[in-house]
Amino acid sequence: MIDNSDAYRQKRRFGMAVMILLLVFAALPTVWVLILSLRQPFAIFEPIWESPLALTLENFFKITRSDFPRALLNSFATAGLSTAFAMLVGVPAGFALAKARLAGKFMASWVLLLLRMAPPVGFVIPLFLAYVNAGLIDTYTGLVFAYMTLTLPLVVWSMWNSFAQVPDELIEAAIMDDASLAQAFFLVALPAARPGAVAAAILAFLVAWNDFFYALIITRSDTATAPVAVMNFISYDSVDWASIAVASIALTLPILPLMAIANRYIVQSLSGAVKG
Amino acid sequence: MKRMLKTVVAASIALTASVASLTAKADEVNVLMFGMPYTNGLQALAADFEAETGIKANIDVVGQDVFENRITLTFTGGTGDIDVVHTPVIQVQRWIQAGWLQPMTDAVAEMPGAADILAGPLGAYNVNGDQWALPFFAGVGLMSYREDVLEAAGVGVPETWAEMLEIAPKISNDEHAAIALRAVPGQGFNMFIFPMVMRAYGGSFFADYEGGDLTPAINSPENVEALKVYVELINEYGPEGAGNFNFAEVNAAAQNGQIVFAVEGTGIISQIVDPDKSRFAENTGIALPPGGPAGRSPAIGVHGMGIPASAANPDLAAKFIEWAVSAETVSKIALAQSFPDFTTASVAENPDVVAKYAAIHPDFLSTRVAALDLAIGHYRPLIPEWPALGQAIGESVNAAINGLMSPEDALEQAEQDMRDILGL
Repeated sequence: MIDNSDAYRQKRRFGMAVMILLLVFAALPTVWVLILSLRQPFAIFEPIWESPLALTLENFFKITRSDFPRALLNSFATAGLSTAFAMLVGVPAGFALAKARLAGKFMASWVLLLLRMAPPVGFVIPLFLAYVNAGLIDTYTGLVFAYMTLTLPLVVWSMWNSFAQVPDELIEAAIMDDASLAQAFFLVALPAARPGAVAAAILAFLVAWNDFFYALIITRSDTATAPVAVMNFISYDSVDWASIAVASIALTLPILPLMAIANRYIVQSLSGAVKG
Repeated sequence: MKRMLKTVVAASIALTASVASLTAKADEVNVLMFGMPYTNGLQALAADFEAETGIKANIDVVGQDVFENRITLTFTGGTGDIDVVHTPVIQVQRWIQAGWLQPMTDAVAEMPGAADILAGPLGAYNVNGDQWALPFFAGVGLMSYREDVLEAAGVGVPETWAEMLEIAPKISNDEHAAIALRAVPGQGFNMFIFPMVMRAYGGSFFADYEGGDLTPAINSPENVEALKVYVELINEYGPEGAGNFNFAEVNAAAQNGQIVFAVEGTGIISQIVDPDKSRFAENTGIALPPGGPAGRSPAIGVHGMGIPASAANPDLAAKFIEWAVSAETVSKIALAQSFPDFTTASVAENPDVVAKYAAIHPDFLSTRVAALDLAIGHYRPLIPEWPALGQAIGESVNAAINGLMSPEDALEQAEQDMRDILGL
């Protein structure tokens, strides 16, 4: 029954007003950054209503002449590769942990959780020393390996949960129909756990994409990623706010579609993709 | 799925093959600097160094926060991945005490170009009889002012902070505030500017720094008077939000005509008077910063290049530094960048350099030299504890500006903090 009472309508209007207020509050920093990115240098600190036409696209062109585009590519490459490797290792690991009768599963789950819980700053000095001695500073390999300490536990933990939701009967049926274990994994279990896998991959990519700390200590000029490159717009006697704003937009744009996809798959994987 | 697997495996093999060691390459020198006009200019000339010497220079210019994090790891880990490090004079004592730098005394003795470096900045890196770095930058405190506003108000350029307080109400209106000064706490932020007022009123950090008596004296009546002036100027005659201004906000406020006076380092003042950057440059004059009963003490900040104790290639590092501070290299940078703060003396005789900065503002180079003459080397104390002391005092100064404490209480707090840091 539809409630048309005044009280209900008033409550609804109030709810909408609160939602709009929260939306404006949440969107304000993004809108502000967008305005900053379009302001002429002299108008950066002026209220928009004082010089509404002091706009320019030069800030966007200027940043293409800096090292930032390269840093953005580095971010794509390292986040993408660390996600790919984490999926390559983590998905079968998650399957094994969910379905095989393994001794020490409990211990494995704790180790994985600990890896996720340990703050990177706790092991930064030994990692840095090891990297210097191994010649891995300022290399893509070094950064990708470092990112895998973030992405692999996430993928394993989340795929463990996803595969646990796939009924054992499905896999047993495939094996009884003469499928090998690999076929049962690739053709039955993995498609069934697809929403979880997509969500895990996207989350892993985002974790690596947003990383600042590892990139700060491991990269130099060749492999610096975008979050570190943004900091380079702050120098001794100037802060290039317009470039920082453009860089922030460039850092955010590529992950927007991923967030939209992730949203759908995370909901699916949390609600249980496979009904037993 | 098979195709995906093949792609991933191929990518991993390619990546592994691409591993390149940075450590101890015999013909390369790794340089870490933070961003400023000189270092940006130096990075652009890396190919020149390789062409002249056959040594490849990997010059990394990063933001100041990134720099701090990287050197901390390199220094504490003794990793040897940096051969030349940006060395602010304010940090040098602490780095020497911690054993993070190696002396360059012998190398400098063999550099003919070292004689061309200004004696004051060079001497700032001479500690315990050893030379620890060579300077490339000496920024001093100057004052910029809007000539048109002062003329309209019928007032002159203030010679003292007291005169500044008299003039300020006459030029503050809805269009512009009188002055903006750095308020954000930090030994390189408000503690770059505030000591100019402090010393003008006869204040100091210690009972007798030059005589070796390092008993804190930050709560002296002279310092309290100076802080009252600082707080009044910022709060009564500064623009909105002035209690949180740093150099970037002061610079923007001056360039946008929101303030009449700015007392800043040469790096900022050169941007305020540059017609390409400032809308009011043509009406902006330059003068020495105001003084007081005890005279005038322009701020000074010196930056140089040193060699970490763990450097893998110290000989190449010394060669690089010699090239980087040579008259030829510095002249190129002074012409390519906004860099009037050079410490290589003969660059000031280069007619192209003189013409460039005279075109930006006719008084710029001469006023800078006058300020350099007045500046004292220990404007901020050259002791290992200074970074911590400067931060603590800066926080108290900021607390007074923002009304969290009275100037008297703020400096009492700073005095106590100084004693704690110095273990007194």
